[in-house]
Formats: sequence, structure tokens, C-alpha cells
Amino acid sequence: MEIKTTGVAGTLESSDIQIMVSKGNNGIEIDLDSEVKKAYGDEIEKVITDTLTKYGLTDCKVKATDKGALDCVIKARTLAAAQRATETSEKPDLEVL
Amino acid sequence: MDKLVDLYLNNAATRQKWEAFLASLDIHNFSDRELDQINHTFGLVDEEGKLVGTGSVAGNVLKYVGVCNKGVTSGARFNKIVTALQQYIFNEKIFHSFVFTKAKYSESFQHLNFRELAKTDQAAFLESGTPDVDNYLADLPKVNDQKDLKIGAIVMNANPFTLGHRHLVELASEENDLVYVFVVKEDASLFTTDERMELVRAGLADLANVKVVSGGDYMVSKATFPAYFLKSPEDLIDVQTAIDARVFKNVIAPSLNITRRYLGKEPLSMTTHYYNVSLAHELSPDIEVITIPRKEVNGDVITATEIRQKIKAGDLAGMKELVPATTLEFIEKNLASLQARIEKGMNINGN
Repeated sequence: MEIKTTGVAGTLESSDIQIMVSKGNNGIEIDLDSEVKKAYGDEIEKVITDTLTKYGLTDCKVKATDKGALDCVIKARTLAAAQRATETSEKPDLEVL
Repeated sequence: MDKLVDLYLNNAATRQKWEAFLASLDIHNFSDRELDQINHTFGLVDEEGKLVGTGSVAGNVLKYVGVCNKGVTSGARFNKIVTALQQYIFNEKIFHSFVFTKAKYSESFQHLNFRELAKTDQAAFLESGTPDVDNYLADLPKVNDQKDLKIGAIVMNANPFTLGHRHLVELASEENDLVYVFVVKEDASLFTTDERMELVRAGLADLANVKVVSGGDYMVSKATFPAYFLKSPEDLIDVQTAIDARVFKNVIAPSLNITRRYLGKEPLSMTTHYYNVSLAHELSPDIEVITIPRKEVNGDVITATEIRQKIKAGDLAGMKELVPATTLEFIEKNLASLQARIEKGMNINGN
């Protein structure tokens, strides 16, 4: 899957996470900002990485601003951002969830 | 629940309410210089219809962000407004944004993954999104063993590139192993950003140790720096200079191992002279500031302002000794279009 533009999904409000996916060429690079990074940082990054990998993305930059999102929210926001970045929102592959 | 609404400031009643709200948060400057650049303004109203938050977008800069936290979870309204502003610019395909704000609010923005690029006791400058300053720096050309080299830098608008600019770069090129010439990116000059960049490149092509690069969004200019949150408009130049210098000193220079900055001495404009002095004050001792006397031809210093006046007058012969052949050739070819821009009202008297 090829990244065509920068894609963003999610908000900065409580219980949500904002995910920004853009072009990269060094694997999946995640820059995570979270109040609970110490406790859940690895878990959040794993959910993002797994979701992107399942969607067929191997190289991209991710900026994630977490405000205490649950895994299902992280997955949904990551998927939406990936669809926007690859311009595939018209034919969403919801199996990834 | 608070409701997010669009605010149209050309409506007098809306504008009045908005100004009163911001005034209660100690923001008092609503000059045309600030307001004319605004593309859109959001408001947050509570259940009683009272304005409790606002924020505006001007290009890729967030402005006039203010919220009232009385009786609500601290941060909730702020996050909502910033989300709305970001969503607005994302729709415009802008994924990289900036904010200039009072120093005390820097932390609130940092909670939303904004990165502080510079701070003074009055103001802070932050960025968010992608590509960020790390990406900008990674994309700049570099050489082997850059850590061990003596590296100088020059920032110029070059509107257009003259033999005066060339003289400054030549000296720096002789005194250093490598020289970065940062061309100001902001497109507010008679010559467009691409044209200025191209003429600087062409005019320096023979100097092997000179790298001509775009200043990106990191050379903070007077034109883009907002003044609305400052205590008084007179602080504008001081604060803008300090922020500009600190971005250069703390973010740009260390990454490229730049230890010297060259400035052209300013005998004509008081503003520029004052800027040079305070820039030197901010940059030293980390960065050595070297001020070079301007190149003179027949007893007069060369200025780009003079070239622009000659373009207006169509005096090609008169600029032959003042600009390199590459710049002259460009002006000859594009004289009519340059004159048309001046005709249309492009200011040519600034710096």
C-alpha cells in the first residue's frame, strides 16, 4: 500500500487519540505523546503498528497524540488515518479491525 | 455540553462579543495587521449561549486562542478548540502548524504534542504536525565529518540577489570550511520565493563550499510574527528578534554545527541596524556574530532596495555594476512582468 498524502483522524479530546500518518522510508516510525506513556506506551504503539501492518503499510511516519484512548478507539483512528493517507477511504477494508 | 460554532468577525455584534471575551483574557490588540490574515474563527458557547472559548486560523498559524475554564475540567475546552482549528487546516491539506503565544501557555500546547522551538519571558513559538523541524534539518545537504569543520551561516531575503550579497558570502566562504546560505521562504517580496532562491543559487554556483537552502518556516520574519498577545506593540521587534535568534541558536545551528553567523553592516536603515545589534546580543556567545561592511560601488553601498527602484524606472544600465550577470539577465528577461507587479501595488521600499 502506498502513502499518497498525509492522513489524520481523531481529536485531542479526552478518551480519544489523534493519529497522523505520513510518508516515511524507515519502517513504521511512531512519535507518541501520551500522559500514560510510561504505563501503556508500548501497548499503544503495538496496536498502531499492528493495525498499519494489517492494512499493508510497512514504511510510514506516525504522530500520535493520546488522551487516554481505549484499544478499539486507537485501532479505528489508526485505520481511518491510514485510509486517508493512502486515499482508499472510498473502499474501506474493515476486516483489518 | 459546549457547542462549537463558526464566528464571522465581519458581523459587528459577533466581533464585539469576541473582542470583549479576549479582552477578559488580557488580549487587547485587534489591529487590522493581525485580523486581516485570519481565514476562520471558531467559538465555543456554553449551554446559556455564552462565549467560553475561541481560536482562529491564519494560514498555518493558530491565533487568538483563548478559553474560560471556570467550572469545567481544566483543558477540556482548550483541547476542543485546538482540535477544531486543526481539523480546519487538515481539510485545507495543511498538516504542519505553528503557534506564537504567551510564554505561560506554552505548556498547554505542549500537552497537545506541540513542540516548543523557542521561548522568551514573554512569548513562545511552537510547531505541530508534519513535516517538522527534524524533517527539515534531515533534508538539508550535509558533508562528511561536518562535526570537525568550521561552518558559517548567512540568512538573506535577496530581493533580488546583488553583488553586495555575493561579497558577504565570498568572505564567509573564504573564512569557513562550509557556508549555509538560508534564503527566507516567506513569499512577500517583489521577487517570488522561487525566483529569489534561483538567483542566489545561480549567483553563487562557482563557490564550492557554499550550500544555498530554503530557510523553511524557521527564519521568523517580522511579517509573520503576530503581535496581538504582547504587552505592547513596541515589544514586537524585540520579541520577534529574540524568538528568531533562539530558534537559530538552539535548533538549527547545533544540528548543522554552525558556529558563526555573518551579517551585513547596516548604515542606512535604523530598523535593520537595531535588528543586527539585538541579534548579535541574542546569539553570542554560542554563535560568533561577524558583521561585514557593505560592499560599495563608486562610494555608495549596494542595496536591493536600489535595484528594485531601478527596475521600476527601467534603468537596466544603472544596475550593471550592482548585480551579478545572472541576476541582470533575469531582470532583463522579466522586466515587464516585474514592473507589472510594482504597478499592481507590490511594496518595493521595504528591506
